[in-house]
Amino acid sequence: MSAAAGHALELRGLSKRYGGFTAVDAVSLRVERGQFLTLLGPSGSGKTTILMAIAGFVAPSEGAVLLDRRDITALPPERRDFGMVFQGYALFPHMTVAENVAFPLRVRGMPRAERDAKVRAALDLVQLSRFADRRPSQLSGGQQQRVALARALVFDPALLLLDEPLSALDKKLRAELQEELKALHRRVGRTFVNVTHDQEEALSLSDRVAILNYGRLVQIGAPEVLYEQPRTRFVADFLGKSNFLHGTVREVRPDGMALQAGATRLVQAVEGAHPAPGTPALLSLRPEKIVLLAEDEGAENEVDGTIAAWAYLGAGYSLAVRTRDLGEIRVALPAWRAPITPREGLPVRLGWAADAAVPVLEDADAA
Amino acid sequence: MGGYASGPFARTVAWATVIYLVLPISIVIPVSLTDRRYLSLPEEGLSFQHYANLLTSEAWLGAIWQSLWIAIASTLIAVAAGTLCAIGCWRLGRRSTELVRAMMLLPLIIPSIVYAVGLYRWFGMLDLLDRFMGVTLAHGVTGIPYVVITVSTALAAFDPRLEQAARGMGASLLQTLRWVILPRIMPGIASGAIFAFIHSWDELVLVLFIASRQVFTLPRKIWDGVNENLDPSMAAVAVLLILLTILLLMLDGALRARRDR
Repeated sequence: MSAAAGHALELRGLSKRYGGFTAVDAVSLRVERGQFLTLLGPSGSGKTTILMAIAGFVAPSEGAVLLDRRDITALPPERRDFGMVFQGYALFPHMTVAENVAFPLRVRGMPRAERDAKVRAALDLVQLSRFADRRPSQLSGGQQQRVALARALVFDPALLLLDEPLSALDKKLRAELQEELKALHRRVGRTFVNVTHDQEEALSLSDRVAILNYGRLVQIGAPEVLYEQPRTRFVADFLGKSNFLHGTVREVRPDGMALQAGATRLVQAVEGAHPAPGTPALLSLRPEKIVLLAEDEGAENEVDGTIAAWAYLGAGYSLAVRTRDLGEIRVALPAWRAPITPREGLPVRLGWAADAAVPVLEDADAA
Repeated sequence: MGGYASGPFARTVAWATVIYLVLPISIVIPVSLTDRRYLSLPEEGLSFQHYANLLTSEAWLGAIWQSLWIAIASTLIAVAAGTLCAIGCWRLGRRSTELVRAMMLLPLIIPSIVYAVGLYRWFGMLDLLDRFMGVTLAHGVTGIPYVVITVSTALAAFDPRLEQAARGMGASLLQTLRWVILPRIMPGIASGAIFAFIHSWDELVLVLFIASRQVFTLPRKIWDGVNENLDPSMAAVAVLLILLTILLLMLDGALRARRDR
C-alpha cells in the first residue's frame, strides 16, 4: 500500500432522476489523489445516491464519473476496483473474519499463500489479527467496522468509499474510530470518499467537505473554510450552530458595511461583492464568537438583552438572550471563570467584532 | 409467550383435533404387527412376519427402490428449477415477477387429477408414458412450488447489501451466487428439497395415469395391494413411510433451527 497509489475522481454534471423526482441535480466536483472527501447532507440530500453512482450501483441519468480522466460511467461495479464500507458493514455472516477479508482476493483468483499474507497484513493494519477465526456475529460493532475496513482495503483499491461508516456505533466509540479512520487514511495514502449526515464527523475527518441539500451541491471546501465562510444560510445552519441576524444595508464602505435592524446599528466586515444600500442582508453569527461585555468594556457591535433560558453543558453555558431588535441570540459562554452566573431574566450586554459574523445568502437565492 | 391459560372448551377441541389427526395414522402400527394373514388387529400375539416379508419380497423392494430413485431425481429437478426461478424473480424484483411466482404455484392449486389428465395426453405424444423419465419429470415439475416457496422465503431474509458488497469487491455474478447467495439460502433450499422429496415419495394420482407396469412406485403398490388383496405388509410399509417422513421433517426442523440461530 504505497502512498502514491491514490487516484483522482471527478464527477461531471451528475444527475439522477427517479420518475419525476430528482435525487441528484447536476453535481460536479473533484477529489484529488489521496484526499479525504466527505459528502455531507441531511437525509434525502442525495449524498448516498452520489456514492452509489461512484461505486457503480446506480446508473446516472446524466453526467459522467471519471477516474484519472478516464470515463468509467458505464463500467459495472465489479470492474471498478473500488473498496467500499457499507452502512451496517455488510460482512458475510457465514464466513470467518479472515474469510471475509480474503473474499476480494479470492474472487481475483489470487494464490492461497499470497492471499494469506495479504489478509494477515490487512488484519494487522486494523489490529484484529487475534480475531481472524471468529465469525462477524462474535465481534463488537467497532470490531466489525474494522473488519469491513480491512476487507475494503486488502485488494489495494483505487478508491475507498465509505457509506455512513460510523453511524451504527455509540458516541464514544464513534469518536475513537474517527481518529483511527483518520490515521488509517494517512497511513495508506489512498483517496477516500465518505458519506455522512454527522457534521462533527465530517469536520474532523475530511480534507474537503461537500455540502448537499435537495440533490444539489451547495458548497465544497476545507472544513475550516466551510465553517468560517459559509456561503448560504443552510451551510451555516447545518455545520455547527449559528444565529441569523436580519438587517437592511445602510452604508457601504470598501472594507465593510453598516446595517440597520430596528433601532440597532451593526457594523460588518465584507469581502468580495458588496451589497447595494437599501437591500436586505442576512448575517450568520456563531454563538462562540459573542462575548458578554462588562460595564466598562466596548465592542464594534453591542446589543442589550436579557437571559431567556440557559443550560449548563460542562465545558460551558448555552444562553438564549432575548433582544429587542435581533430576536433571540444564542451565546456559548465558557464555564471556566465565567463573568456571570446565569439566571433567567438577568440583563446582559452582548458584543462581537465586525469580522465575527459572515454575510450569507438565503438558500432560495443561492440556487 | 404469556397470556391466559386455555379454557376447558379450547382444550377439549385442541385434544380432539390432535386425536383426529394422529389416531388413523397410529392405528396402522398395531395392524402391521398382526399375526394373521389379512389386514386386522393382532389377536394372539405380535408378529414381525410382515416386516420380514416386506424386506424379502422382490415386488415390494423393487417398488421401494423405484420410488426412491424417482424421488431423488425429481427432487434434483425441482431444486434446480425452483431455486433458479426464485433467485431470478428476487433479482429482477419487478411487479411482473409476482406473476411468474404465481404461475410456479399452479401445480399446488390445480387438482392433480386435472393435471394428470393433461399430462397423459402430452406424454402419450412424447412417448413418455410408463417411463422412469416421465414420472420423474412429472414429479419434478409438481415439486417446484415447494422449492420456490421455501427459497423465496429464505431470500426475503437475505440482506441485499451482501450481494452489493460482493459485486463491489469484484465478484462476478456466478461467484456471488456460489460464495454468498447460495450459502446464505442453503437452509431454504434444503427445506424445499425435503418437501419435494416427500411430495414425490407419496404421490399416487399422477402415477396412476402415466405409469402402468414398467414404473411401479411404492404408493402404487400399496394402492394395488388394497384393491386386490388385504396383505398386512401394506401396514408395515405404511409404518416405514411414516417413520421416514417424521425423520425428514425432523431434519427440516433442525435445519431451520440452524438458520434462525
